[in-house]
Amino acid sequence: MAARIKIPFVLLLLPMLTGVVFDIKEFAVHDGPGLRVTVFLKGCALRCSWCHNPEGQSPEPQMLRGTAGERLAGVTFSSQALADRLNSLASLLRVGDGGVTFSGGEPLAQADFVSEVIDRLDGLHVVLDTSGYAEESSFRKVAAKSQLVYFDLKLIDAAAHLAHAGVDNQPILRNLHVLAKLGIPFVIRVPLIPGVTDTQANLSAITRTVAGLPGLQRIDLLPYNKAAGAKYAACGMVYRPTFDEGRESKVNLACFKSAGLKVRIL
Amino acid sequence: MNNLRSAPAVNPRRHLPVTTIFKVEPSRSEPRNQFELEPRLAEMKRALRDGCYKQYRTSPEVELLAECDAEQLSWPRRAARLIRRMCEAQEVVIRPEERIVFTRTVEKVPSIYSQSQQQALTAGREFHELGPISNICADWEMVLSQGLGQRRQIALATRERLKNDPQAVEFLDCAIETIDAAANLAWRYAEEAARIRRHDVAKILYRVPEQPASTFHEALQALRLCHAVLWLGGHYHCGLGRFDQYMWPYLKKDLKLGRIDLSGAEQLLAEFFLSLNKDSDLYPGIQQGDNGQSLMLGGVKRDGSSGVNELTYMTLRVARGVGMIDPKINLRVTKNTSLDLLELAAELTQIGLGFPQYSNDDVVIPGLVAHGYELEDARDYSVAACWEFIIPGGGMEVVNVGAVSMPAAVDAAIHSGLAAGDSFDDILVRVGSNLHSQVAKLAERSARLFLPPAPYYSVFMSGCLERGCDLSHGLKYNNFGIHGACSSNAADALAAVKTFVFEERSVSPQRLLDALNSNFDQDEALRRNLFDEGPKVGNDDARADAMLVRLFDLFSEACESIPANRHGGIFRPGSGSAMFYVWLAQGHEAMTEPVVGATADGRKSGGYFSSSLAPSPGVRVRGPFSVLKSYSKINYQRICNGGPLTLEVSDTVFRNPEAVHQVALLIRAFAAVGCQQLQINTLNVDSLKDAQVHPERHKNLVVRVWGWSGYFCELDEAFQNQIIGRHVYGESAKCGLP
Repeated sequence: MAARIKIPFVLLLLPMLTGVVFDIKEFAVHDGPGLRVTVFLKGCALRCSWCHNPEGQSPEPQMLRGTAGERLAGVTFSSQALADRLNSLASLLRVGDGGVTFSGGEPLAQADFVSEVIDRLDGLHVVLDTSGYAEESSFRKVAAKSQLVYFDLKLIDAAAHLAHAGVDNQPILRNLHVLAKLGIPFVIRVPLIPGVTDTQANLSAITRTVAGLPGLQRIDLLPYNKAAGAKYAACGMVYRPTFDEGRESKVNLACFKSAGLKVRIL
Repeated sequence: MNNLRSAPAVNPRRHLPVTTIFKVEPSRSEPRNQFELEPRLAEMKRALRDGCYKQYRTSPEVELLAECDAEQLSWPRRAARLIRRMCEAQEVVIRPEERIVFTRTVEKVPSIYSQSQQQALTAGREFHELGPISNICADWEMVLSQGLGQRRQIALATRERLKNDPQAVEFLDCAIETIDAAANLAWRYAEEAARIRRHDVAKILYRVPEQPASTFHEALQALRLCHAVLWLGGHYHCGLGRFDQYMWPYLKKDLKLGRIDLSGAEQLLAEFFLSLNKDSDLYPGIQQGDNGQSLMLGGVKRDGSSGVNELTYMTLRVARGVGMIDPKINLRVTKNTSLDLLELAAELTQIGLGFPQYSNDDVVIPGLVAHGYELEDARDYSVAACWEFIIPGGGMEVVNVGAVSMPAAVDAAIHSGLAAGDSFDDILVRVGSNLHSQVAKLAERSARLFLPPAPYYSVFMSGCLERGCDLSHGLKYNNFGIHGACSSNAADALAAVKTFVFEERSVSPQRLLDALNSNFDQDEALRRNLFDEGPKVGNDDARADAMLVRLFDLFSEACESIPANRHGGIFRPGSGSAMFYVWLAQGHEAMTEPVVGATADGRKSGGYFSSSLAPSPGVRVRGPFSVLKSYSKINYQRICNGGPLTLEVSDTVFRNPEAVHQVALLIRAFAAVGCQQLQINTLNVDSLKDAQVHPERHKNLVVRVWGWSGYFCELDEAFQNQIIGRHVYGESAKCGLP
C-alpha cells in the first residue's frame, strides 16, 4: 500500500528540475538596475583565460580551499527551493526597483532549470547575464522570460575567440541576432583584456556587429582586474593568462561614439 | 498556448513597472550637485588639518578653586563662575579668512571642587561618566529666536516672581551670570573686530547672541558661540539638534529678500561646519572623534507635515564638500522619502565619513509615543552623541547609564542550564532572569546617579528659566537608556544550542560545556560546526532571528519591570553597543559584567562581539538584504533607545555610476522593511590594513567606529582590528566576466 501511495508523489516531484549554484549575491550593484540578487550558476563551456570566477567553469560542485578554510562551491537547488529563496526577498527587491539576475558560469548551460525558476518567481524583474554561448532554443527560452539581457561580446575574430576563450564564437553571434529579433532590451558587455579585446580592430568590429541592433541600450566596457587570478589556487587551478597582465589597457571610444552608441566604462 | 510558445517575444512581464536602464542614466559617477569650498575655506580646512588653530591655545590656565573656596560658593555658583571665568580668559582670535569667529584659547577646563571636596559632596552618589551634564540637546530654535537678552528678561521676571524661593533665586542669578558671560565674550569679539576694521564681524557680534538672530549669518555665528561656550563649561557631547528646522527660517528670509544667494549661503554653512572642527580635539570622549557634535536633518515637523526643506539638501551637499568628521550628520527618513534626497545622502556615504546615519520615522516616532512621549515631541526627536533618540530642549535624559551584556546573560544561562539538565525553554527563562538582574543592577547604580547643576545649559532648555529650576532637577523627559549590547552573538549562541543540543541532538550538553570551558582547545571540530553550520542572525533565518527577537523582548520586559528611575523617568532599552563590543570580550575597568569566554556560537575567548546591530564577526552572511530582513523582526516599539543596524559597503561599489542610486534604494528598503536606524560605512579593507602599517600615508582616513566617525590612525588598535574584521558588502567579486 505504502509503495503505491508513494508513486504519485514521486511522479509529481520528478518534473521539478534541479540546478547547481555556486553563489547567490545580494546587493549585486554591477548586475542590473535597482536592488538585485544575482544567482551564479555553475558550469561554463568557455575557458576565457582572464576568467575570474574559475569555480564557475566546472558544472560539478567543488571544494574551495582558502586561508579562511574550506567552502563548498556548488549547491544543488530544486527550482522551487531557489525560487522560494528569491521570492522571500521579493518585496524588498520591488521597493528597490530591482530584481534577480542570472549569471554564472553560464546560466544557459542550465537553461531549463533557469527557465523553471523564472516561472516560479513572484513576478520579479529578471536580468540574464550571458556569454551568449548556448543552443539557440535554450537562449530563446530564457531570454524571452527576461526583461533585460547583459550579453558578453569578447572577440569578433573567430580564431582569436577560439584561442583566448576556448570555443567558437559563431553560436554567440547567432544568438546576438536572435536577441535583437526578440526585441528585448540588452546591454553589450566587453571585458577589456590588454592586447586581446581592447584593440582598435576588435572594438571596431564589435561596433559594426552591434550598431543598429534593435533593443541595444548601451555598451559597458569592463576594465581588466588584476585580481582575476585570485581564486585559482583555492580551486586547485593555475591562472594562465594568454596576455600581458601588466600592459595598460588603452581604449579609443571614438568608434562607438561615431556609430552613435552609448558607452560606459565600469 | 502553442502560438505563445513559438512567439517568445511576447513577455508577460514586460509591462510590469520596472526601472529601465534609461531611468538611471545619465551616469552619476560624479555628484550631481557638487559643492566646492571657496579658496578661503579650502585654506581654512588645510589649516585645520594641520592643527594651525591650536597655536592660539596660549591663555593661562583658569584657576578657580581658590576663589570659589574663599567666597564659599555653592555648587550652582561655582558652575556659573566657571563659565564666567572661562569666557573672560578667552582671548579674541579673528583670522583674516574667517567670517564666523570663535577659536578656543583656553585649553583646560578647571575643576570647581578639589578631589576631596568632591568626594565629600558626592558621598554615596555617582557622577555619570565625567560628571558635567552631557549628551543632551539644547532648544536651539528658542536660543536663536529669543536671543540671550530675552532669556535674561525671562530669568529676571521669574526671579521677581519667585523672590521668596532662595533656591530659585540662586539658580536664576547663576543663569544670568552665565548669560552675561557669553554676551560679554561676544562683545569683546565685536570690539576687537571693530578695532581691526573687520566691520562685517563686528556688526554681527554687536547683535548676537544677545539679540534674536535676524539673518542666516547671525544665526550661524550665534550658534557657534553659544555652543562653544557649553564646552568651555565642561559640558560635552553637546548636540546640534534639528539644524535644518531651526536654521531654515533665517536662510529662507535672506533668500527671499535677496540678502544672500544660494552659493553664498553654502559657503557660510561650510565655514560653520569647519568651525566645529577647530577645537574638537579638546572635546572629551572615549576616543578622539567621539565628541557627539551630532546634527539631525529631515523628518516631520511637530504638526506631522514634512520638514524637508532646501536647507536639508544644502546641508548634505555642503557636508560632502567639507569632508570633515564634524558635524556628524543624521537623516530622518521614511519609506516615502524622495529618492533625490536619499541619493544626496548616499553621495555623502560614498566619501566614507561613516555618515549620514539614518533613522526611520515610521518606527521611531510610534516607539517614542509608546514610551510616554507626547506625539508632537516625538515628532521633534533628534539624536544624542551616537544614536539615542532625544527631544531637543525637552529631555534631561541619561541615554547611556550602561549596557546589558547579552552574551553574559546567555552564556551563564547555557552553562547553568545545561549543567542542570534544563529544557531549552528553561534556559530561556534563565536568560530572562539574568537580564533582569543586570538591568536591576544598572537601575540600582543609576539611582545613585548625581546630576550636577548646569545653569548655562539650563538657559537653553525649555522651562528652566520660566520655572526657576536647574535642568539637573529634571525636565519634561527624564528617562534613562540602557544599551542591549552584542545581541547577535548572543542570539547565535542560543540558536546553536537549540539546534544542535535540543533539536538535532548531535551535540551532547557535556561536550558543549567541556568545549566552552576549554576554549574549544580540544574540540575544534565542534567549534567549526557551531560557527559554520549554526543558524546565524543576518541570514533571514527564522531559527536565529527568533532568538534575537526573544532576547530583545526579555530585555524590554526587564526594563519595563522597573517602575521609575530616581528622576521619575523610565528605563529605555536600546540595541546599541557603543564600545562594549570590545570591552565585553576583552575586559575593561568600567565593566561590571564579567568578560565572556568562548561562546556557543563558536566564538573563541577574546574574539570581538558584534557592534550594535550587525551579524556576528566572521560568520557567513547572505548579504545586506537578508541582514535588513533579520533585524526588521525586532519589536522596536519596545526598543527605543536607538542603536543602528550597521552595514559596511565596499568602496568598489561606487565604481558603478548607478551605485549612488542603488545605495539610495538600499536606504529606502531599510525603511520599508521596518528597521529603526541604519549606518552605512564605506570601507576599503586594503587601505585600512595599509594604514596600520603606514599610518603616515593615511592621515585623513575616516571610519565610523560605533556611533561616531574618527580618523582611523587615531583609534586604539583593538577598535582598528574590529573594523577590519567587519562584514563588507558589495565587494566586486564579479564584474560581468563569466
